Formats: sequence, C-alpha cells, structure tokens
Amino acid sequence: MANRTLPRLLQTPAVILLLLWMIVPLSMTLYFSFIRYVLNNLRRPEWTKPSIDNWRGFGNYEFVLNNKDFILAIQNSLVIVGSILFLTVILGVLIAVLINKTFPGQGIVRVLLISPFFVMPAVNAVLWINMILDPVLGLQGIAVDGINTWISGLKDAPLVGWFFSLWPTLEPISFRATQTSAIAVIIMVTWQWTPFAVLIFMTSLQSEDQQQKEAAILDGANTWNQFRFLTLPHLGRPIAIVVMIQAIFHLSLYAEIEIVSRGNGNKNLPYLIGEFANNNIGAASATGIFAVILANIVAIFLLRMIGKTLME
Amino acid sequence: MGKIVLENVTKSFGDTQVIPPLNLTIEDGEFAVFVGPSGCGKSTLLRLIAGLEDCTSGDVLINGDVVTQVSPSKRGLAMVFQTYALYPHMTVRKNIAFPMRMSGMSEAEQEKKIQAAAESLNLTDYLDRKPGQLSGGQRQRVAIGRAIVRDPKAFLFDEPLSNLDAALRVGMRLEISEMHARMGTTMIYVTHDQVEAMTMADKIVVLQAGVIEQVGSPLDLYHKPQNEFVAGFIGSPKMNLIKTDEAAKHNAATIGIRPEHLTVSTTDGAWKGTVGVAEHLGSDTFIHVHDTGLADMITVRISGDIAVKHGDRIFLTPEADQIHKFDANGLRI
Ligand SMILES: Nc1ncnc2c1ncn2[C@@H]1O[C@H](COP(=O)(O)OP(=O)(O)OP(=O)(O)O)[C@@H](O)[C@H]1O
Ligand SMILES: [Mg+2]
Repeated sequence: MANRTLPRLLQTPAVILLLLWMIVPLSMTLYFSFIRYVLNNLRRPEWTKPSIDNWRGFGNYEFVLNNKDFILAIQNSLVIVGSILFLTVILGVLIAVLINKTFPGQGIVRVLLISPFFVMPAVNAVLWINMILDPVLGLQGIAVDGINTWISGLKDAPLVGWFFSLWPTLEPISFRATQTSAIAVIIMVTWQWTPFAVLIFMTSLQSEDQQQKEAAILDGANTWNQFRFLTLPHLGRPIAIVVMIQAIFHLSLYAEIEIVSRGNGNKNLPYLIGEFANNNIGAASATGIFAVILANIVAIFLLRMIGKTLME
Repeated sequence: MGKIVLENVTKSFGDTQVIPPLNLTIEDGEFAVFVGPSGCGKSTLLRLIAGLEDCTSGDVLINGDVVTQVSPSKRGLAMVFQTYALYPHMTVRKNIAFPMRMSGMSEAEQEKKIQAAAESLNLTDYLDRKPGQLSGGQRQRVAIGRAIVRDPKAFLFDEPLSNLDAALRVGMRLEISEMHARMGTTMIYVTHDQVEAMTMADKIVVLQAGVIEQVGSPLDLYHKPQNEFVAGFIGSPKMNLIKTDEAAKHNAATIGIRPEHLTVSTTDGAWKGTVGVAEHLGSDTFIHVHDTGLADMITVRISGDIAVKHGDRIFLTPEADQIHKFDANGLRI
C-alpha cells in the first residue's frame, strides 16, 4: 500500500483538474437550472443576479417542457443526428471499400475526398445554402431551370413529343422553408463528415487480413458475402467510433441551423438553449440538462445497437 | 478423387518469371510434398493450383478437366494456410460451417458434418469459442476442419505447421498423415521441414527457382539424388560435397557423401582432419571436421557418443558404396 502513495499523489493534480473541468460547468448549469435567473427584467431586478434566494425548484424544467418548441427540438435533434449518422456510415463504408482498391490517381482522389472535412462549418453552410441549394441562384435552381427548358423543347419533337408533353414542369425546392431546412442541414453536414468516416474506415480496411479473404474465396464466398461476413465485422469497431464521435459533434450542431433558417421551424436543442440564453438563463440551463440526458440516452442506445448487430 | 496435372504452367509477376514452363502430375490419393529454398515458388505453385493466382500460360487439370479459367471455389479444392486464416468474428462452429453455408447446405446436414469433423479433430469442446481463444494447434485443427467438411478433391497445405512449436508439430504431422491414410484424398503439402517432407510424402517435389529439380519418393531422393542441388537439399545434416582431387579419383567433378555414411576413428582412416564443434544429441553426435583439405567443413554423424573434443585429430572413412558422383554440370553419374 505504502508504495502506492507516491504515484497516487503524483496523479492527483491531473485527476483534480479533470474533475474540475467536468464538474464545475455541470454543477453551475444544475444550479442555474433550479433558480430564477434572467439577464434583463425591469420589474424584478433581483432575478438578474444568480442567487439561492430566487429558488424555483423544477419550475424552469416545467417551463421548458411546456414550451411549444421543446419537443420539436428534441425530435429535430434526433432526426438530424440519426440521418447524418446513417448516411455518413453507409457512404463512408461504400467509398472506403471503393477507393481501397489500387487505381491510377489514387493519391489525388484520396486527398480530394478528405478535403470537405477541412472546410469550416459556417463556410460549409453558407456555401451549400447559397451556391448549391438556392432555388434561384444556386446549382439547384440552374439545374431545374435547365431540365425544364430541355423538356419543353422536346415537347414539340416528332414521335416522342407526346410523351414529354405529359411531364410536369419541375419546381425548385426552397431549402430555407420550415419543412425542408432540416434536410438542407443533413445534406451539408453529411457532405462534410463523410470524409471523416471514409478516413477511419480506410485505415481499418488496410489492416484487413488478405488470407482470410482468400480462404473465403476458396470457401465459395462471393464478393457480397466476403463483404458481409468479413469486411463488415472487421469494420464494426471503427463504425462504433465514427458513430460515437459524430453523435457527440452533431447533437451540438449550431452554425448550420443558424445560417440555413435562423432556427425557423428547425431548432435543435443547442439552438433552443441559445434562444433561451438571450434572456432566460434558468430555462437555458434546464434545457442544457435535458440535452445532457438526451446525449447519454443516445450514446447508450447507439453502443448497444452497434454491439449487437456487428460484433455477433 | 483428385488427380492434378500441370501442363507447361508458367507464372510471371510483371517482368519477372517466377515459374518457367513446368510439368507435374500428382496422382489421385497421393501425398505430394513441395520442398525448396525460400522464394523458390512453392506457395506460388500451390496458389496456381488453387486458382488464387492466374497462370500466365499453360493449363491446370483436375481429373482430366482443364480448370485454368475456373474460379477457385468451383475447383473443389480446400486450402489450409500457414496463418490459419480463420474468420475472427465467428465461433469455431461458424468457421467450420462457413463453406457449407456458402454452398447452401441445410442446417441439419451442416450440424451433422460439424459434429463429425469436430469429433475427428478433438474440437468438440471448443465449438462455441472464437479463434482468438484457441491455442495455435487448435486453430490449425479448426482450419483443417473447415477444409474437411467441403469434401474436397484435394487438400492444399501451405506450411501449415510452421507456426507451431516443435512438440505440437510432431503431433499434428501424425494427425495429418493419419487423416490422409483414412480419407485417401489427394494432398499437396508445402514445407520447409526436412522431417515433414521425408515422413509424410508419397512423392517429394524438389523446386529451385521455380524449376523442378527432381520428383520421387523420399527414399529415391535420399539414395539417388539426380543432381547436386537435390543431394545437398535432401537429408539433414546436409550431404558433404567434395570438389577437390579426391573427386577426380572417382572420375567425377563432385562427389557427395552423407554424414551418416562416414566412419570415424581416432587412429587411422582415409581422410584426416581436426575436430571443430561436436553437437551431442544423445542418440547421435554431429561432428564438424575441419582442415581435411577436401571442403571447408565435413559433417559426420555417428550413432551414440564419442569422446572427442575441440582440436582433436580425427580420421574419416567413407563407405565406398555410398559415394554419390556428379559430373561438371552437377548431374548424377
Ligand atoms: N504478388 C507478388 N508479386 C511479385 N512477386 C511475387 C509475388 N508473390 C511472390 N512473388 C515472388 O515470387 C517468388 C516465389 O514466391 P513464393 O511465395 O512462391 O516462394 P516460396 O517458395 O513459397 O517461399 P517461402 O518458402 O519463403 O514461403 C519470390 O521471389 C517472390 O518474391
Ligand atoms: Mg511460401
């Protein structure tokens, strides 16, 4: 026992630092979530200072739960994170398997594939919403316009004209609208984070045992079965890592939502916290605690699911 | 049923030809062993037969059918790899079942075959473990089990025992030999190990740089090596090759004498030398003899023990009827 004391003593500063790092913000959030604390209130100036005298119990939580945006924000958070995870993992695995083969120009293709990851989130959002998804000025508008002109030109063509005259005129989609802004966020974040998944999966594919593949070939496994029974289980752990890291990052998406629609009909939890924090710190803190709980539920759920399906 | 014939098979990787035109017949039910120095193309040859590599030219025939363009799984051969190549995420049971699952066999029949294979390989207690929880020998047995359940026309082994320790190797060697005797299936076996080659083979194929130096039964190769390379390669310790005037006396460019065909005396004999290292194995003693004027070193193997030490004078006498003679091209006279 005695000879353990010194190492423990030497570890203490690091442990204490880590504890403070975690506990101080968490306990402050907890504290604020149980008191009335607003930044500006002319009638009740005493609420603008955090104090135990302003104790509100679960009042802030009730207030948040009754807010019409709260359930929507949770749903939205889950939909956005879930869709992004689903898409990035599938795209990531497909692309990684594809570029793992040797082909000419491999190096350049790999660098190009990774590059979206180095774009700043805000820049990414501005780029997508204005230059690509904009219904008039973006690539989408131009493409839809082009297709419409092309089809209306074909309507007068002999023989096939009747067929094209049945076609409706396409309408470009506005991705800033309430119903579609979440889709825009999902598209742009998927574009940005797929390279991350590709990078991790590719590294893992390089360490795949080639003799197992050959044994499987001799055992009569076709390409799909090799992928299903060897490659996919081999990727189980990296997939878990990608899912966990991305879940952490995407539960706190903010910039994209701000830029696409200013939260118009498309708030997630962090955005809701941001809105509350304009004045009502108590409510913002209560929402923050809900976010922590949600993040933990998501993490446990994801780990279970991945463990079951992939690691057999 | 598996007679395997190679007809003028060649293999090149890029510009380098690893296997020049090669012809070989392995009869049905035969145990053929490929031996040769590292990098001589043993594995490549095995992979050509399995279909894991494409022949650059020439044909592979199995039971008279040309299979050169047939995919590996359709050739009906099973291969056991040096690194076992088990599927790490599956239990032993699933590993063994994998080829049957791929061929769409019914669950009941799969189970029957798994049980039979597990029983014959002593794996019954380990069926629900993952490969990572098995010892090397057990892993190799699983790999063999996975091969057996396919009822292949022939088994291909690429140095299957070289990752095992010496004692285990002896045991597995016997098991594979017994398996061959019981099933009578054609087996092709690549090894570095002299003892494995000599004890297991019906037919040894000695390769050097992709060229077959000699094909024959183990004792054929031991008693009548067709050239210097085979003479030096088969047998342990290696045959002593002597190129000096002593060879001319026998009207040969080179003469060879195996260490076990030399008699030793401390008083008189045909050749004189000094004792270098003496390796006492208990049952045998290997003596390295220097300064004979015949070769850098002559190795002698004698039964039992002899009281000689480093630097002692020693006399050697070859058994006259055991001298191998080779001409200037290294071919047997
Ligand atoms: N994929 C490849 N590309 C290029 N050269 C190769 C390839 N595979 C094997 N070779 C070459 O072919 C030759 C024969 O290789 P092979 O693996 O058949 O040797 P081996 O007899 O099995 O050797 P060992 O006893 O060390 O296993 C070697 O010179 C090797 O460098
Ligand atoms: Mg080899």
